[in-house]
Amino acid sequence: MKINYEFHDFKIYFRDWIGTFRGKLTVLCLIGLILIPLTGNNYIIGIFNTFMIFTIFAASWDFLAGFVGQVSFGHAIFLGIAGYATAFTIRFLNFPWWTALILGAVIAVLFGLIIGVPALRLKGPYLALGTLAMSLILYQLFLMGSLAILWENTFPGTIMFGTDGIGQVPPISPNPGISYLIIFLIMCVSLIVLTHLGKSKLGTIFKSIRDDETGAKASGINTTKYKILAFMISGFFAGIAGGLYTIRLSGVNPGSFQALYSFYAIIMASVGGLATISGSALGAFIFVFLGEILRLLGDNPNISDMFGGFTEPIFIFSIILILIIRFAEHGLLKPVLEHLQDLWDLLLGR
Amino acid sequence: MMFDTILSFLIFGTIQGSIYALLAMGFSLVYGVGGILNQAHGAFYVITAYIFYSCYINIPQYGYLIGIIIALIATTLIGGLIYLLLIKPLKESHVGVVIVTFAFAFFIERFVSIAVDSIYHNMPYLIVGYFTVFGVNIQYQYIIILIVSLLLLALISLFINKLKIGKSIRAVAQDPEAASLMGINVDRILAYTLMISAFLASVAAILYVPVETVAPHIGWTVLLNSFSIVVLGGLGSLHGSVIGAFIIAYSRSFTNYFIDPVFSALIPIIVIVVMLVLRPRGLFGKKEIK
Repeated sequence: MKINYEFHDFKIYFRDWIGTFRGKLTVLCLIGLILIPLTGNNYIIGIFNTFMIFTIFAASWDFLAGFVGQVSFGHAIFLGIAGYATAFTIRFLNFPWWTALILGAVIAVLFGLIIGVPALRLKGPYLALGTLAMSLILYQLFLMGSLAILWENTFPGTIMFGTDGIGQVPPISPNPGISYLIIFLIMCVSLIVLTHLGKSKLGTIFKSIRDDETGAKASGINTTKYKILAFMISGFFAGIAGGLYTIRLSGVNPGSFQALYSFYAIIMASVGGLATISGSALGAFIFVFLGEILRLLGDNPNISDMFGGFTEPIFIFSIILILIIRFAEHGLLKPVLEHLQDLWDLLLGR
Repeated sequence: MMFDTILSFLIFGTIQGSIYALLAMGFSLVYGVGGILNQAHGAFYVITAYIFYSCYINIPQYGYLIGIIIALIATTLIGGLIYLLLIKPLKESHVGVVIVTFAFAFFIERFVSIAVDSIYHNMPYLIVGYFTVFGVNIQYQYIIILIVSLLLLALISLFINKLKIGKSIRAVAQDPEAASLMGINVDRILAYTLMISAFLASVAAILYVPVETVAPHIGWTVLLNSFSIVVLGGLGSLHGSVIGAFIIAYSRSFTNYFIDPVFSALIPIIVIVVMLVLRPRGLFGKKEIK
């Protein structure tokens, strides 16, 4: 009964939401996204796949940092562990992709808890640096040749460690359009779940921990429990993103554990604005497409001669992130929406 | 044979320990005084390493010495500038500070790999040569590392405990508000603290880069080691970070020589997890960390 009631609630909420400017804009964007496979251009479909996967990844980071105030600098842990678990189960155990995806995300959460539980019991910077430390160490471990040989001797015929990682992971479906739609659906569900969690009672508890941890504790909230819960939710979705990313690239290597990927999540979420799940989509959009443009510019010999290689995407993005955090800490989503709405009202003559 | 191994384990542990102590002390100082979690601590090391390397490559004859001087001055100034330009305006939000320093670390990593290149480089020792004790070769560079870092650690603790400015630093660490009421310019003190931290990291880089390598990503290892040491010794405790540095260095060196280098890579995370579970405030940390 309760679920029924909540669903009814959600329907009303949805109807109201669609009436607002934001709702209309979101639906418009989603319709636009669905139509992308009709172009039939695999290059464009590929970029949009990456964009949607990164949206999930950024949203999972944003959920933890924006709603609960816990900053993780090692979200690459989830990306990498889930990627390896998904690749391993699909390729060597012949699991269907969706089982592998969920299993990978669960395993990633369990790994994350190794550092998450001790760090989240405490206040202070322990989670930020603890997760960063763990991702750096996992990167070193998965690179190690001696472990690769040990693993191959113990489990013949399978690969786990080593510089090459696991390759030849089959795509979700041989038809890129269907793969695209499945990723699209997973993205929509993830974003709806995360947004809804943020607005629910649980979300209120999370925000109370973010705003005043001592106060939340004094009101009888077991802050450690809720922080770990939020960390697990965030890790689960990051793990889903990791699994999808592995399938999209048809392989995984130790590079997934690099601090670089944690940096990606942070920049996408911060560009969109903290505590706005849909802002992650804007951030991921800017990140993926600007990155692609910069990469194309870098390939052009005239331009790369002129700038001496300084058009490299990560270099530009680190500057953008510094500027965004320094001068526009609340991200781009809210100001962009406000201006769009003003423009819309102007056009309608309101 | 066995004796050789034990001796080289001890020597390498000592060398690494004194370098780690320089790095961790700066990291701990900045956290202890300003509550600033400086993710760009490794970037100081990278900046120094690359200025040092480029001077050595591009300036004939005296490049090595000129490199040392320029690198030390530039890194120290950059430390102060980071505080004034990036950290100070964001002091209200802790999330902002960690993200902006993290971004700065990436900025430096990418900058050096574009401006110089991203492959490994080796630097020669300051004084080439070695002497042999019980069949183990000891480079003169090791002796220099030991003397300079111990001297510097002693000087810094004298500076903080005896001089007036050190007193101001301790006052800000205890209570920034009360310190500013007593007429201490808190921002200036924090800028000095970051400069000291950058200077220590810079000295560590100059001493240790010839032993290891120059590469854009070395900063992350520095940050990782500093953090595990500081968790072991206690966030904000200076002598804790020195002792923690030697403990971590000896245990890494021990596993390298006697067990397996695989476990050596695992030591920092094991230390972090175990310390956070058993004794979150570290061996010598202040009690107030909850």
